[in-house]
Amino acid sequence: MSSSGDIAWVDLPPVEARAVAASELRGGLAWTVFGIAVLALSWRMDRLEAQHINPYTVPGLLPGLLGIVTILLGGLLALRSWRRGGRLVRGPQFATSGESARRLALVIGLIVAYTVVLLGRGLPFWLGATIYVTASIVLLQAPQRAAEGRGLTLREMAVALAIGLASGWIITWVFQDAFLVRLP
Amino acid sequence: MFSGLADFGNAWLGFMNPTSIALGLGGALLGIIVGILPGLSATLVIALLTTITIKLPANNAILVLICSYVGALYGGSRTAILLNIPGTAANAASCADGYALAQRGEAGRAIGIATSGAFTGTLFGVLCLAAFTPSLAEVALAFGAFEFFWLALFGVALSGSIVGDDPIKGWLMGALGLLVAQIGQEGLYAYDRFTFGWDELAGGISLIPALVGAFGLAEVLTALADPVEKKLVQVKDSVLPRFREVFQYWRTVIRSGVIGVLTGLLPGVGEDSGAWMSYAAAKAVSKEKHLFGKGSIDGLMAAETGDMASIPGHIIPCLALGIPGSAPSAVLMAAMIIHGIQPGPMMMISHPHFVYEVVAMTSLATVTILIFGLFLVRPLLVILKIRRTVLMPIIFLLCTVGAFATASRLFDVYAMLVIGIGAFFLRRRGYQMAPFVLGLVLGPLLDKSLRRGLVLSDGSLAPFFTRPISLAFAVVTIFAILLYVPAFKAAVRRATGSAGKVFRSALGRRGGEDAA
Repeated sequence: MSSSGDIAWVDLPPVEARAVAASELRGGLAWTVFGIAVLALSWRMDRLEAQHINPYTVPGLLPGLLGIVTILLGGLLALRSWRRGGRLVRGPQFATSGESARRLALVIGLIVAYTVVLLGRGLPFWLGATIYVTASIVLLQAPQRAAEGRGLTLREMAVALAIGLASGWIITWVFQDAFLVRLP
Repeated sequence: MFSGLADFGNAWLGFMNPTSIALGLGGALLGIIVGILPGLSATLVIALLTTITIKLPANNAILVLICSYVGALYGGSRTAILLNIPGTAANAASCADGYALAQRGEAGRAIGIATSGAFTGTLFGVLCLAAFTPSLAEVALAFGAFEFFWLALFGVALSGSIVGDDPIKGWLMGALGLLVAQIGQEGLYAYDRFTFGWDELAGGISLIPALVGAFGLAEVLTALADPVEKKLVQVKDSVLPRFREVFQYWRTVIRSGVIGVLTGLLPGVGEDSGAWMSYAAAKAVSKEKHLFGKGSIDGLMAAETGDMASIPGHIIPCLALGIPGSAPSAVLMAAMIIHGIQPGPMMMISHPHFVYEVVAMTSLATVTILIFGLFLVRPLLVILKIRRTVLMPIIFLLCTVGAFATASRLFDVYAMLVIGIGAFFLRRRGYQMAPFVLGLVLGPLLDKSLRRGLVLSDGSLAPFFTRPISLAFAVVTIFAILLYVPAFKAAVRRATGSAGKVFRSALGRRGGEDAA
């Protein structure tokens, strides 16, 4: 089974099927709104009449057509979901478990913090990489250890730091020194 | 014909030096390692290696990428067999039978069959690559704006309908990819579209950062959000390639090779379609149907041969038409452009020997997977023991470097981040990334072809439907879309009867059995 989480609607129990349909209904409506926005922006694009261009080559042509296609497909998705029992306010909804949501928030938080705060701010690449990898290993493994009834040992933290240092150094050496690729 | 053979011989000789051989082996090894890791794809490894190899000579750089492409799809069969998780999507068809064989103590035999099937399939595909690419490029010289319009639309439409379980979601992702490709200065008048006054967006969203985000970061988030560690089946028997089975199942091998190459020729259809269609075809004609999904050698051989034969199949339209056959070949095409080689019909005029160089590279890649299949199966399995909480942060670091390195812009890293996070949430809701990638790659071509075509026809849509090749592409594209309208599908089913059963079951990608 791939990790992409494909939804086979017909195989789900009724409660889950309605939750999927509700999610798809919201998605269909969102796509429709997005398509309307794209169409509106395309319509408002400059037609470059001052440059006397051929009217069939206006910049907003293909974006406008894509906006229309998106509206149609979004509407079709919403309609199909409605017919499958999806509703906006009633019925079962998908709920991510608390632990899973916290883990996801932590992972995204670490990634965003590294990219926005540590990357390209004058810090040497290897140092930012070391901080990120070490923090990620420690923070992601801590809940697993807590579930086992213990915290991370000093040795485990030292191993995390060593892995962080090694990754930062090896990536810097391979890209920058061996293959002459500029690092952020 | 003889000049082609001479060009091929010269190309081979050009790679027979220690540097090229080492780079080829290194590329294949990295590809196999990435392929072994579930979730990480050939697209990601090619995108990352594109940045590492930017400063290398073009031939060596493309050699590394092609070897990593072949290695990644080959390496994915390991996890399919030992963990019942496909290393790449293309190996999903190998899961059922490979894992079943592994569970009854024949993991080594399964791996050996995968090696021999992969070697034979890739070799068959290489022969087709050499035979068909020059001819197809010559035909494509007659293509104009109208034909390229339909070809680009066909690629996105077909990808959206075949990849994943829901064509509506697939087409929405295709449309999104086409839209994202419109961001920035458009090609005819340098007018800024969807930039909202932001200079960074004037350059558009680059392909490599978008791919690294969609296939790299999204996978990192998936792996870390759901860190289930599965138990590895132990390999106790010999892992040597089983060429006796190749001769025993020669009909399956040839049929799967042909199917793999043909699916590869279709723009936008991934390697997994080659595997599934070959699997379904093998099951349809097999006398041992009951074994499929339960440890069928025939099934495993068909899946691996079809999957690997589609690699050269995807490279054929990439070189001849400038239309990538799959997401990995889209990155390969981007890498060729970075190194000054413009794929497409004019390539046979501007770089006439390049096709044979690619043939030589792909055949070298075939040899490398045989070498690693002989000598490094067990040591490479150590990779699977590395915890995801250690590996995935490192993979993310490589993603940031990969996104940054092409143009040295931090904006590309931010774009990778946004696309990666968006792709993660979309995938959880059943949206696939392959149509998005095709849309991103084919968007500029579709835009220019549409506008040029309308200028040439003075606004008339008639040439889009009356020129012979345009008409053929239009019919196929519209047919591929209408096939998902229930009433039309029922009418086609009645008309085609049992002859279409194999094709439809292959498109359904289950072959009567679930892979997991």
